[in-house]
Amino acid sequence: MPRDVRVATTAVERRAPVVAAVPGTGRTGRLALGAAVTAIYVFLLAPVAIIVFSSFNPTEANTFPPTGLSLRWYAKFFESAGFVAAFRFSLWLALVAAVAATAIGFLTAYGLVRCWRRGPGVVQSLAMLPMMVPHLLISISLLLALMVVPVPELAALIVGHVLICLPFAIACIVASLEGIDAQLELAALTLGASRLRALWEVVIPLVAPGFLSALLFTFMVSFGDVYIALFLSGPGRTTLPIEIFAYMQWESTPVVAAITTVQILLIIGLGLVIERLVGLRNIMRV
Amino acid sequence: MATERREVVEAGGRSGRLWLAPIALLYLIALIAPISFFLVMSVFRYSALELWVPTVTGENFARLLGDAYHRAIIVRTLKIALLTTIGCLALGYPLAWYLARTASAWRGLLMFLVIAPLMTGVIVRTYGWIVLLGSEGTINTILRGLGLVDRPLKILHTELAVLIALVHILLPYMVFPLFAALAGQDPDLERAAHTLGAGRARTFLEVTLPLSRPGILMGSALVFTLTAGAVVTPALMGGKDVRMLGQTIYELTMSTLNWPLASAVAFVLVLCQFAILLVYFRSGRRRAA
Repeated sequence: MPRDVRVATTAVERRAPVVAAVPGTGRTGRLALGAAVTAIYVFLLAPVAIIVFSSFNPTEANTFPPTGLSLRWYAKFFESAGFVAAFRFSLWLALVAAVAATAIGFLTAYGLVRCWRRGPGVVQSLAMLPMMVPHLLISISLLLALMVVPVPELAALIVGHVLICLPFAIACIVASLEGIDAQLELAALTLGASRLRALWEVVIPLVAPGFLSALLFTFMVSFGDVYIALFLSGPGRTTLPIEIFAYMQWESTPVVAAITTVQILLIIGLGLVIERLVGLRNIMRV
Repeated sequence: MATERREVVEAGGRSGRLWLAPIALLYLIALIAPISFFLVMSVFRYSALELWVPTVTGENFARLLGDAYHRAIIVRTLKIALLTTIGCLALGYPLAWYLARTASAWRGLLMFLVIAPLMTGVIVRTYGWIVLLGSEGTINTILRGLGLVDRPLKILHTELAVLIALVHILLPYMVFPLFAALAGQDPDLERAAHTLGAGRARTFLEVTLPLSRPGILMGSALVFTLTAGAVVTPALMGGKDVRMLGQTIYELTMSTLNWPLASAVAFVLVLCQFAILLVYFRSGRRRAA
């Protein structure tokens, strides 16, 4: 099924754009659509833009328009031991979760695309399970499991993050695997390479962009998570979003805006890398 | 197509199940078993000393459905989930349609902008809405500056605020499946409808819209379940006034420590989700037949 979708997508691109080609799509219609789409983008981006603006605000309250320009909230962020520790822990956790999810995601994606006789279909939907279940339920169940099975809480936190990252890793790598020609592997096997060697020398270099985008994507998913960490974080294991959440329940100074701006910059950077590598369009398909 | 598929399968060998073993094991141990155990707890008896006693009882469900406070929360959650789904559909459809059909050179960037908010995490986006909608916030400042209102409007801590933030946060989940369904359509179908004399509206209603149905259902199912399980956004945007199922579960497990009742609440949540998924798969089968 995804194969057909891909064929059709390229067909759309190769032909003249439908918006122009369909007779009767008049000027007014296009203008109305354009206005609607612009309005939707304003809605999507306004909250993010407002955070960046207010992070440079010198006053306590989140006033708009800002009364001046200052970096005082950034200084406050880097002076606050709690926030910095949480930031570092989040980075570490996201790195571990991203690597683990990408590794398991590759095995799964390869099995789905290359070895599943009837095509990915239903099994791929099953692999997307953690995306369909509310994350709240995943993390609360892991917390309960901890009460019964003696496992360190940190392990449960990592497992929870790997779970929510997996669907994204699989999506990235499946998109990348479907783009490479299976004949290349067949050729390697015919020429006497073992399966492992064919995998290592042919498949993995070819899906390297998919790997990298999976790593970055899952890194961001883990870094932004609140639900898993809400139940499974504890002293010394507080992630940045949880630290912010706890802080916001009591007060809301622009220091939160400064932290989130740093986070947004980090994420935009990573996102642009992904877009360059595989194109987000391929990931959106799933 | 068929032969191509076989070649691909041969390239991977016949070890399909082996490759899927790690994920199957992980899901079984860390996802399916714990969630099943948690849901089974809904029929256990609550005990203040041992947290739960494994004897079968219906008292958690009786308490949940019998008392007006919890019933109101269930109704409110379903209402907000439904409205959020409709809101996401109303905004997501034009956006997905545009992205699937446009020939703009900015298409890559436009797609990135849809996904970018998704990647910033729930807290970041909720915080943005607090700054926008608060009584000292941007919207109120502008409204007062224009002289439209003399007292700040109370938007934050209302259902409307929760709704706005949830639509914003969950919009990408609606756009993905819609985009996939719309981009996968053969453009010749729309052209054929035109050649046969159908107007723009009729082509949309009778060709494009029915063909994008799987995307609509998939996106709606995703958004509905994610709304129903939301905790952080309702807590920050709705304050004490707008309680939803997610917060109730959170408090029951983290402060009240009444796991059996929390499980019963979660069970209601899962039941709603199953109902939605059932609709999704049934309509999918009807389409196939």
